Amino acid sequence: MRWAGPAALVVALLVPLVPAGGYQQYVVQVATFVLINAAVALAWDIQARTGQLSLAPAAFFGLGAYAYTMAALRGVPLPVAFLLGPLVAGAVSLGLGVVTLRLHGLYFAIATLAFAEVVKVIFKELPLDLTGGAVGLTAPPLLGGHQTGLYYLGLGVLLLVVAVSLAVRHSRLHYAFTAIRQGELTARVLGVRVVATKLLAFVLSAALTGLAGAYATSRLFFVIPEDTFGIGLSVTALATAIFGGVYTTAGPVLGAIILRSLEEGLRLVLREGYLAVYGVILMLVILYLPGGLVSLWNRRSRDAAGGD
Amino acid sequence: MMDLFLQTLANALIQSGTYALASAGLALAVGVLHIVNFAHGEFLMVGAFVAYWLSVLAGIDPIVSLVPAGAVMFAASGVIYQASIRRVLLAPELNALLLTFGIGITLQNLAVLVFGATPRVVHTAYQLTAVTLGPVSVGVAPLMTLVVSVTLLAGMYAVLYRTGIGKSIRAVAQNRTGAHLVGLDVDRIYLLTFGIASALAAIAGAMVLVRIGASPHMGFGFVLKAFAIIVMAGLGNLTGVLWASLVLATAEAFVRTYVPGGGGAAEAVFFLLIFFTLVWRSWRTA
Repeated sequence: MRWAGPAALVVALLVPLVPAGGYQQYVVQVATFVLINAAVALAWDIQARTGQLSLAPAAFFGLGAYAYTMAALRGVPLPVAFLLGPLVAGAVSLGLGVVTLRLHGLYFAIATLAFAEVVKVIFKELPLDLTGGAVGLTAPPLLGGHQTGLYYLGLGVLLLVVAVSLAVRHSRLHYAFTAIRQGELTARVLGVRVVATKLLAFVLSAALTGLAGAYATSRLFFVIPEDTFGIGLSVTALATAIFGGVYTTAGPVLGAIILRSLEEGLRLVLREGYLAVYGVILMLVILYLPGGLVSLWNRRSRDAAGGD
Repeated sequence: MMDLFLQTLANALIQSGTYALASAGLALAVGVLHIVNFAHGEFLMVGAFVAYWLSVLAGIDPIVSLVPAGAVMFAASGVIYQASIRRVLLAPELNALLLTFGIGITLQNLAVLVFGATPRVVHTAYQLTAVTLGPVSVGVAPLMTLVVSVTLLAGMYAVLYRTGIGKSIRAVAQNRTGAHLVGLDVDRIYLLTFGIASALAAIAGAMVLVRIGASPHMGFGFVLKAFAIIVMAGLGNLTGVLWASLVLATAEAFVRTYVPGGGGAAEAVFFLLIFFTLVWRSWRTA
C-alpha cells in the first residue's frame, strides 16, 4: 500500500503527456473532472469522520465558484479571486456550523440540505447584474484557459486536500474525530472539545470544497445556480466517498477515479440517465461492501500478514 | 383585497392536501420502520407515470388510476423491502438513508432512460372547469385531489386507530422487541407498513399528475418538502404532519401571492422555515 500513493501521483503527473492522438484533449478533460470529484469527495469525507452527514457540499462548492466569478468580473486579480473561494465558503460554514452543529443524524442532514436549497434560490433571485440570475455568469479562466496548466493546478488542489486529510489522520485530531463519531457523550467525558472539533472539521471541509468550486469554475468558465449549487454535487460527493471507502484518504480518490471515468464513458453511450449507475453502485455497496473498495484491499493485506 | 386573501387561502388548502398525502407515507415509514426513505419521491413519480400510461394507453381517468397506481407501488415496494430494506433495518440509520438514496437515483434515471426527461401532462374534461364559491374560484381537478387526500388520510387514521392491524402497527412502532415478544410478526408488519407508505406516495403521484403533470424529476422536489414537513412535525408524528403541511403550504401560497416575483422565493421560504424550526428546536432543548 505504501507505493500506491506515490505511484498514483506519478501517473497523475504523466496524464497530459500520454500520446492519445486525437483524444489527448478529451483524456485531460476527463482527468480534470476526476480531480475535481476527488477533491470534493475527500473534503466531504474529512467532515464525515466526525459522524455528521452533511448535504451542503453543493452550497460551499457554489459559494466558492460564485465568489471567484463575481470577484474576477469586478476586476479583482484572478489569483486573489481564486483564494476568495475557500475564504467565503469557510466563513459561511463557520456561521452555519455554529447554529446547526447541535443537530444530530438526520436532523443535521436535513438542515444542511435546506441550507443548500436556500442558498441556491438566493443566488437565483438576486438582481441580474449581481449574480446573473437563473442564467448564471461567464467566468474568466485562470492561466488564460491553458488546459494542461489548469490540469496541474487541479492536481495541486487535490494534493492540498490529500495533505489536509493525511494531516488529520496522523494527528490527535484523528482520535478526536473518531471518538465523536462513535459517541459524542463518551468523547466529551474523555475530554474532547466536541463542539469546537466538529466546527473545525466542518469549516475545514467547507473551505476545501469552496476551493474546489473556485477551481472548477476557472476550468469550466461558467456558473449556473441549478448546476453549481445542484444537489447532484452533494450526492456525487457522498456516493464517491462511500463507494471508495469512508473515513480514509485513498477511498474517495479511488472512488472518484472509477466513478467519474465510468460516468464519462456512459455519457458517451447514453446521453441522459447515466446517473442510474451511481444509484446502483450506492445500493450494492451499502448492501454488500459497507467499507467500500478500500476494505477489499485492507482485507487482503491483513490476510497476507496472517490476520490481526 | 379580501377576495385575493381568500383565494390564496383556498389555494393553500388544496396544496396542503397534496403535501400531507405525500408526507404521510414518509412519516409512517419513519415512525414504524425507523428508516428514512429517500426514494419516497420516486415512488410518487412511479405512481404518476402508472396513471399517465393508463390514461394514454387505456383511456382510464387519472383519478380512477389512483387504485392501480397504489397497487403497483404496493407490490413493487414489497420486492424492494425483501431485497434491500430489511437488510439495513438494524444498521446505523445513515445506511438506510443512503440505500434509499441509491434506490431513488436509480428509479429516477431509469425513468429518464425509458420515458425521456420531458414533462408529460394528461387532459381530462374536468381540468378546464372550475367551481365558484363567492369570490373564490377553484378548479374541479384540484378540488378532487383535495377530496381524495382527505378521504385517504382519514382512512389511514381509521385503520391505524380503529382496527387490529393498526394496533399491531402502532405496537411495533412503539417497541419492536416488545411487539415481537407478545407474538406479533414484526417483519410482516414492516413489510405491510412499507407497502402502505409507498402506495400512499404513488397515489399522491397520480394526484400531482392531474394537477400539474409527470416527469422523472418530479419526485425530488416533493421528497424534500415531505422531509421538511415530517421533520417540522417531529419524526413519526402523524398528526403533526397535517398541521405542518397546512403551515408550509400557507406560507408558500402567501409568499407567491403577495411578494412581487415571489414564485422562486416561495421555494426558499419553505426551506427557511424548516431550517429555522430545526435550529430553534436544537437551541431550545440544549
